Amino acid sequence: MSQLLAVMFDGVAFGMLLFLISVGLSVTLGMMNFTNLAHGAFAMVGGYVTFALASLAGWPFLATLPVAFLATMAIAAVFERLLFRYIYETGELNQVLFTIGFVFTASATAAYVFGTVHQSVDMPAVLTGFIELGEIKLPSYRLFLVAIALVITVGVVYGLEHTRFGAMVRASVDNQKVARGLGLNVNRIFALTFALGSGLAGLGGALAIEVLGLDPSFGFHILVLVLIVVALGGLGSVWGSFVAALCLGVFDVGGKYFVPELGSFLIYLFMVALLFFRPQGLFGKR
Amino acid sequence: MAEPLLSLRGVSAGYAESVVLNDINLDISEGSGLAVLGRNGVGKSTLIETVMGFTRLVSGSIHWRGRDITRLKPHQRAAQGIGWIPQERCVFPTLTVEENLNVVARPGSLTAARVYEIFPRLAERRQNRGSQLSGGEQQMLAIGRTLMTNPSLLLLDEPLEGLAPIVIEELGQSIAHMSGDEGMTLVLVEQHAELALEMTREAVIIERGRIVHRAPAAELRADHDTLDRYIGLNLGE
Repeated sequence: MSQLLAVMFDGVAFGMLLFLISVGLSVTLGMMNFTNLAHGAFAMVGGYVTFALASLAGWPFLATLPVAFLATMAIAAVFERLLFRYIYETGELNQVLFTIGFVFTASATAAYVFGTVHQSVDMPAVLTGFIELGEIKLPSYRLFLVAIALVITVGVVYGLEHTRFGAMVRASVDNQKVARGLGLNVNRIFALTFALGSGLAGLGGALAIEVLGLDPSFGFHILVLVLIVVALGGLGSVWGSFVAALCLGVFDVGGKYFVPELGSFLIYLFMVALLFFRPQGLFGKR
Repeated sequence: MAEPLLSLRGVSAGYAESVVLNDINLDISEGSGLAVLGRNGVGKSTLIETVMGFTRLVSGSIHWRGRDITRLKPHQRAAQGIGWIPQERCVFPTLTVEENLNVVARPGSLTAARVYEIFPRLAERRQNRGSQLSGGEQQMLAIGRTLMTNPSLLLLDEPLEGLAPIVIEELGQSIAHMSGDEGMTLVLVEQHAELALEMTREAVIIERGRIVHRAPAAELRADHDTLDRYIGLNLGE
């Protein structure tokens, strides 16, 4: 029983991590229909920011996290202005080709600067042990992941549901043309959302080092999971991404633990089954 | 005479490869009100979308208060005071009534409180989402939402389409009120020719992308021959 709970909790923590990395893509995809396969590369950027600061410059791990968020956000904003904004109107094939090319470039750059080895960072003592709740021993890092993801989820939901900027984002997702025609600068709203979403991915990438490790192919590996979350959750739906990421995390971890012979196939079966009945995703509108 | 609020000079425009509008010349002066009539698919909506900047302009120019806005993007035109009320209402379905209003608000005398005065029904439903409203309520919201941008020109694209007669009457009064008391200039694209001509001072009829008839609205109302020929509605009875 306690083992089941521990595995479930592990899955929840993994799901939270996936949510952090995916939520930005869900919103920007829903808003501009911009097929951005480079989203995972920004998660990798955040990972390497934390790695560089913690392992090379000797910063404490926790202090690197806000920097991973802000630096990824800034880098994403620059690339949005320099590159991505020119391909919004060019069709999905161009977007897919361009952004996957961007992941290759980012990956090669990371390999050049940091080498191809698997990197890790030193965790502070407070995050390395276990916390015992009666019979259940929960790894403190997983608890930390869940806590930080919940705080950010509340922040994202509050920002989207209760601020004027959030209403602008939702209006632009609902009907981009009408939003423009009523005076909303959708391109600027999108650029900001893109930067914020990439920043969250960067933070997720930093937090993922301890769980998934970090190497230059991170942007590719995470992409599969990110796309599953977005497809299952439905485009533009924050709650959809949250639920989908949670299910995915629990299914993946639980599946690998309890049915190891099926291993990582389980999540794909789950995805196929769900999309068969709900092709627009859990909370998707299209 | 003062310069026109909006003026189109030799405008040809369309979508992608097809040109829908041909050589349109129009002057709309402040407070005048223009009814744009014509059968379905003759380019009435394209005219509105061209003023907003959604179409591909092939030639010609558009001036707003004497300033060239031909190259401005839709959101910049809206910010200049051109208030667009899209066809089929298109309220933001996931936003509440209140959010629909506030999200596009610009400073001016028209506030959410004022919109609720004009449309008391919206005040009752302010916490409902756009998708939960009836057709008539959605149209009220679409109009109220555009009013929140404090425009000096209202472009209404078939605002009464598909609504029940009683709602049409109520909305017609609100629209007339806006052009009368609020001093807004209307450009009204409408199938209900009779109603549209009541609310405006000038009228044009569009046929296959060209303006084929211009007349004061009152005159056109009495000119059943012309209306029958271009619109084919029996307004006789």
